[in-house]
Amino acid sequence: MSAITSSRGPRPARLVLHGFLIVMALVWIFPLFWAIYSSLRPISDTIQNGYLSWPSGGLSLVNYQTVWSQADLPYYYANTLVIAVPAVILTLLLASMVAFACTQFSWRFNLATLMIFTAGNLLPPQVIIVPLYRIYLNTPIPVWSSIDIGQFSFPIFSDRGLLYDQYIGIMLIHIVFQTGFAAFVLSNYMKTISKEITESAIVDGAHVLRIWWNIVLPLCRPALAALGTLLFTFIYNDFFWALILISTGAKRPITSALNNLQGEFFVNNNLIAAGALLVAIPPVIAYMFLQKQFIAGLTLGSTKG
Amino acid sequence: MGDKIVVPGTGVEVPLDLDLSRRELLKIAGYGSIAAFLAACAGGSPTTTTTTSVTAKGGSVSLGSYLSDAVPKKGLQSVVDAFISANGGTKVKVNTVDHGTFQNQINSYLQGTPEDVFTWFSGHRMRFFADKGLAAPIDDAWNEIKGNFTEGFAASVKGNDGHVYAIPTSYYPWAVFYRKDVFQQHSYSVPNNWDDFKKLADQMKKDGLTPIAFADKDGWPAMGTFDILNLRLNGYDFHTELCVGKQKWTDARVAKVFQKWSELTPYYSPAFAGLTWQEAAQQLLHKKAGMYLLGLFVSEQFVASGNPDDLNQLDFFPFPDVGSNFDAEKALDAPIDVFMMAKHSPTLGSDTGQAKAFLEFMSKGSTQITYWKTSPGAIPTANDADQSQYPALTKKAAQIVSSAKRITQFFDRDSRPDFSGPNSMQGFLLRYLSNPKQDTTSLQGQMQSFWDSLPPE
Repeated sequence: MSAITSSRGPRPARLVLHGFLIVMALVWIFPLFWAIYSSLRPISDTIQNGYLSWPSGGLSLVNYQTVWSQADLPYYYANTLVIAVPAVILTLLLASMVAFACTQFSWRFNLATLMIFTAGNLLPPQVIIVPLYRIYLNTPIPVWSSIDIGQFSFPIFSDRGLLYDQYIGIMLIHIVFQTGFAAFVLSNYMKTISKEITESAIVDGAHVLRIWWNIVLPLCRPALAALGTLLFTFIYNDFFWALILISTGAKRPITSALNNLQGEFFVNNNLIAAGALLVAIPPVIAYMFLQKQFIAGLTLGSTKG
Repeated sequence: MGDKIVVPGTGVEVPLDLDLSRRELLKIAGYGSIAAFLAACAGGSPTTTTTTSVTAKGGSVSLGSYLSDAVPKKGLQSVVDAFISANGGTKVKVNTVDHGTFQNQINSYLQGTPEDVFTWFSGHRMRFFADKGLAAPIDDAWNEIKGNFTEGFAASVKGNDGHVYAIPTSYYPWAVFYRKDVFQQHSYSVPNNWDDFKKLADQMKKDGLTPIAFADKDGWPAMGTFDILNLRLNGYDFHTELCVGKQKWTDARVAKVFQKWSELTPYYSPAFAGLTWQEAAQQLLHKKAGMYLLGLFVSEQFVASGNPDDLNQLDFFPFPDVGSNFDAEKALDAPIDVFMMAKHSPTLGSDTGQAKAFLEFMSKGSTQITYWKTSPGAIPTANDADQSQYPALTKKAAQIVSSAKRITQFFDRDSRPDFSGPNSMQGFLLRYLSNPKQDTTSLQGQMQSFWDSLPPE
């Protein structure tokens, strides 16, 4: 079909379509371009000449340098990673267990269990924040040593004896909230895995945990990778939990570091643009890194032989 | 599908170390916690707790700060360094939280595990937390240092119960800003009364300027105009009582404010409801607007322009007299920033002496000048602060505040927070500004019924 059309040359409808697509692409790219452009200009330049102007003093990376040092970006990147990486891994492990148990085995409440997990996801976080805040303030957590690397100091459990104001507290609430969603997605994916695989594994004498870890999880790699990227982005972008449950400024995640760039009154928008662009990079990297996993297509041929 | 699968029961290897360690982790979290909690409580300062205030040396104190912007942050650090060396090496732990978050979270912060000392604002916002029992009174420290403050500052740090809850450290006034070169170029003179003010605005309009820059996208700037008009027309007492609900919004005196205001709105920047204060400041900076009623922080835009002449040309005059009995009060908004002590701080028990020593240190003119040198956006409060180093603009700002007989803190610091937000006062003022000539009776009725609908504080 397509070969025939192209041999006839472009049709008007196609030209219109492409024109439309180009316009839409420009509309989408424009704000990003604008942010990049602003971030490359010093604030004095835009104050003197306005945002709609050619740079009089040339473009420079000075805003990026300022952001990097003034907002302590490396420090806050580390904060976010300390929360996000274990949270994603644990969420995937726990959610895959739920999904595995609910889809690969038939038992009386498997559907109900899945529904409870999914329903928990429908609860808006704002609703539970006040009781959660109280729970965190009243939950003792052992003080154990901390991992110190230069100016970084990450308490392994807690440095105050409470769940409040701790990395682990933020990690836990992310795991709790994301497990429902992840279990829902993974169970839908696992339903597509044919029962014969697990059944033949049982025939071969594999234990439940072994089936989960050695048979089902590898088959779910594309789903796990996609979900991992998504969860990482969710947790990375989260502002809410850390806002309420962390009181130490130095423990807040990267999203709050951007706020450090705002003066009480004066806002240097060019600096914020530079900061926002830097902060946006890791999820993009995470996506590119895990992208390979999407193509894996592991289920193909897995039931053969 | 749907077949029951028997789970093989015994003697199987657990495939994952990870699984074990997670269980281990949960177990530790579950059982090992109480002892650890107790240990954590004990883990405060290593020093003996000599709670005689003032002379505390060594020890430790923690400080919660919203001074997150690079410049004030550096200013605070220099003050902390000076305190440490002056106070025999007291350990000071500073927790800096960006000011937006700090303000939004202040309630949960103060109820949670706050630092011993924290940065805050005077006025109703301070008294609110004092009433809630979240701030600790500091009368003994205040008695040592009160001689260093004017009566206006002393009044601003008293709670409703008569105790002192804060140390005032800096302030900035609201006034009408203009560019000296623009006034020179058109040979304008500073207006002292309402008629001259309006005549000047008319002249500016003829000269192709926006007479009065105005921006209200963020809601709060309009409250500054409401404050000053209400203060000049109806006086300090009425204004402060109105802010806390002791006067009614339906009062004819409030209608008078709106009527007076409508004489100014024709001179405002076009499309001001979509402008931020920085955009309005740009109009002043670029000589497109003649005057701008705002806080001293408008100078930050002039500093950021990178051209030193912009800042040199910036000047201001106090809001003109309106011809009422209250003109003589010369009242104005001059928000005061303060340091307070958090009652629920887990370490306050052992740190009280050092915390008070820090507060007293903050009350010294020399300390405030140290801070001001790094962060000149606000003016020191102490009487013994060395004013000789002030630039002209700061000197003048200090002077108009000291000549004011009454000082208010700005609407959102003088009234309750749930009445000064976007859904309340800010929204009401925007609705008024969308049609300033309107009969404001129904608007005032809505303001009053909104006030009445608020839960008791």
